[in-house]
Amino acid sequence: MNSPNTSPTEVLIDCQGVWKVFGEKSAQAMKAIAERKLSKTEVLREFDCVVGVSSASLQVRKGEIFCIMGLSGSGKSTLIRMFNRLIDPTGGEIRIKGQSLMQLDAKGLRAMRAKHIGMVFQAVALLPHRNVLENAAFGLEVQGLGKTERHEIASKALAKVGLSDWAHKFPRELSGGMQQRVGLARAIAADPEIILMDEPFSALDPLIRRQLQDEFRQLAKELGKSAVFITHDLDEAMRIGDRIAIMKDGVIVQTGTAADIVMNPANAYVAEFVAGISHLHLVTARSVLRPVAEFQKSHPSVDVQTLPRSGPDVDLDGLIGVMVDAPDHAIAVWDGQNLLGVVTSKGLLRSVQEKPVHSPAEA
Amino acid sequence: MDHGQTIEVFDARVDDVLNWLRDNAGFVFDNTRAALDSFYGGINWLLATPNPYLVMAVFAGLGLWLVSWRFAVLAGAGLFFCSAMGLWPETMSTLALVIASTALGLVIGLPVGVWAGYHPKVDQLVEPLLDTLQTLPPYIYLLPAIALLGYGPATSLVATVLVAIAPALRLASLGIRMTPNEYIELGNASGISPLQMFFKIRLPFAVPSIMAGINQSLMMAFGMVVIAGIVGSGGLGQAIYEAVRTLDIAKSIDASIAIVILTMVLDRLTQSAGQQKTGATR
Repeated sequence: MNSPNTSPTEVLIDCQGVWKVFGEKSAQAMKAIAERKLSKTEVLREFDCVVGVSSASLQVRKGEIFCIMGLSGSGKSTLIRMFNRLIDPTGGEIRIKGQSLMQLDAKGLRAMRAKHIGMVFQAVALLPHRNVLENAAFGLEVQGLGKTERHEIASKALAKVGLSDWAHKFPRELSGGMQQRVGLARAIAADPEIILMDEPFSALDPLIRRQLQDEFRQLAKELGKSAVFITHDLDEAMRIGDRIAIMKDGVIVQTGTAADIVMNPANAYVAEFVAGISHLHLVTARSVLRPVAEFQKSHPSVDVQTLPRSGPDVDLDGLIGVMVDAPDHAIAVWDGQNLLGVVTSKGLLRSVQEKPVHSPAEA
Repeated sequence: MDHGQTIEVFDARVDDVLNWLRDNAGFVFDNTRAALDSFYGGINWLLATPNPYLVMAVFAGLGLWLVSWRFAVLAGAGLFFCSAMGLWPETMSTLALVIASTALGLVIGLPVGVWAGYHPKVDQLVEPLLDTLQTLPPYIYLLPAIALLGYGPATSLVATVLVAIAPALRLASLGIRMTPNEYIELGNASGISPLQMFFKIRLPFAVPSIMAGINQSLMMAFGMVVIAGIVGSGGLGQAIYEAVRTLDIAKSIDASIAIVILTMVLDRLTQSAGQQKTGATR
């Protein structure tokens, strides 16, 4: 389907204007929404249908971990289930690796799920009558691989999550965190490009959760997998996600990197959400810097070349460390040989204060 | 309208239908009877032909394997007691009747139960049927059954099968329906086929329920044995029925004890078989 040399920005999941309306008259409701722009409450009153997801658009690129954050009832679990059609969308278009999901027949859909999309569940769902190895090999078994072959592959997957010694134990003998690792091993054993993670760590205690978050991120990056990660925990989303989409009442209210969202919340809801998040380790020089030309206009006497330097991915904490000794109250941000811009002490203080860096007063 | 007359007409119709069936579909019932008789006869032959001590040893062995050595001793002793009371052939033919009818009940009950588990509409259709079957006094269908299949094991077999179907069907349907949703999702997300879904996910989760159904079917079948004695089942049921008719209380109590022993032995054996099958799930 794809050429072997895929570009790093290849889109694996392309979700455009996807709707899910639950209820017997969902088709009519969908039509009415499109024609008359009904609101959620109107749809409920008129058609007795519940809008689960409304007009969600997002793209997940190859190798990217994409978090969808929202509270319960925000539609995030519904949305992720449409990416492998555990739930059929009512409207819109979802393409996986360029293939439209709705056009697949039952057989095509089974092949797509078996080979290209893995899934990890909050409930883990390990089969209690099978041991850990057999559970990890489940997806391969479904695909019809022989016992020796599938156990060999599953053993490797278990090794990747650090559970080699537990292969012949039963799920009930494992702790919650270990069970979820088996769930992850089961998902990666079939070597899919995409892994759907449905609140996988929500039921674990905080310490284990953080450990698994880091391990998961590392593993996904190591294997070059793309992941859609559902969570109700903003900290988790920021820890794991390359990009984050925030959902509320079935609508994606904002999509961006953790820094984007914290620095420039799209609305009051997001702002309230991110209010407690410290910027110090989240915001990097890249999002605080101002163009060189603009800086030169207000500081014509300063030679940019002599300013203290920093990289674009240095966080506020690091910038403060450099800034306290900077004679001109400015730091030049270099990406290798390229001068990207300048961070001023004013801009730095503003971003520590969690206010927009480029306020109109400053410009 | 004269109600009495209406009833008379209705009764006449019922008789007509029975006569018509006997005249026109007689061969169907004759063949059914022959098939049932030989099925029952085969199992009976298998149990009654060998030396009683061999049969006792087999049951004790099963008890040792599935339950415990204590139960094995009790089961062996219990069966020996049946033989000591001079009721060995009756005990074995009752056992044959129960096994034959439970087997037939499962052959009908389990597949229909699985079907009903998948389709709520089928379940809605079958449920009232089972309710009727279970609440209807057996005497009501025993008479027409005698009319069509005659006096003998075939009729008692049918009567017993009818009560054995319900628990197997209900619990199979329940077991299939109760598959936890997260496992259905897991299967679907793994790209499972409908057949794999049944064998790899739904069935393993349904096994405890199905085994409970099999056990219950067996118990229902034992419950019918005495009633089936009236229509010529042979075995302990008939022994009790005849003892009651001749007011031979001692004989009837002997046979009752034999039934109780047999019931307890089979109950424990099937219960433990069910638990052993599902041991890994706990």
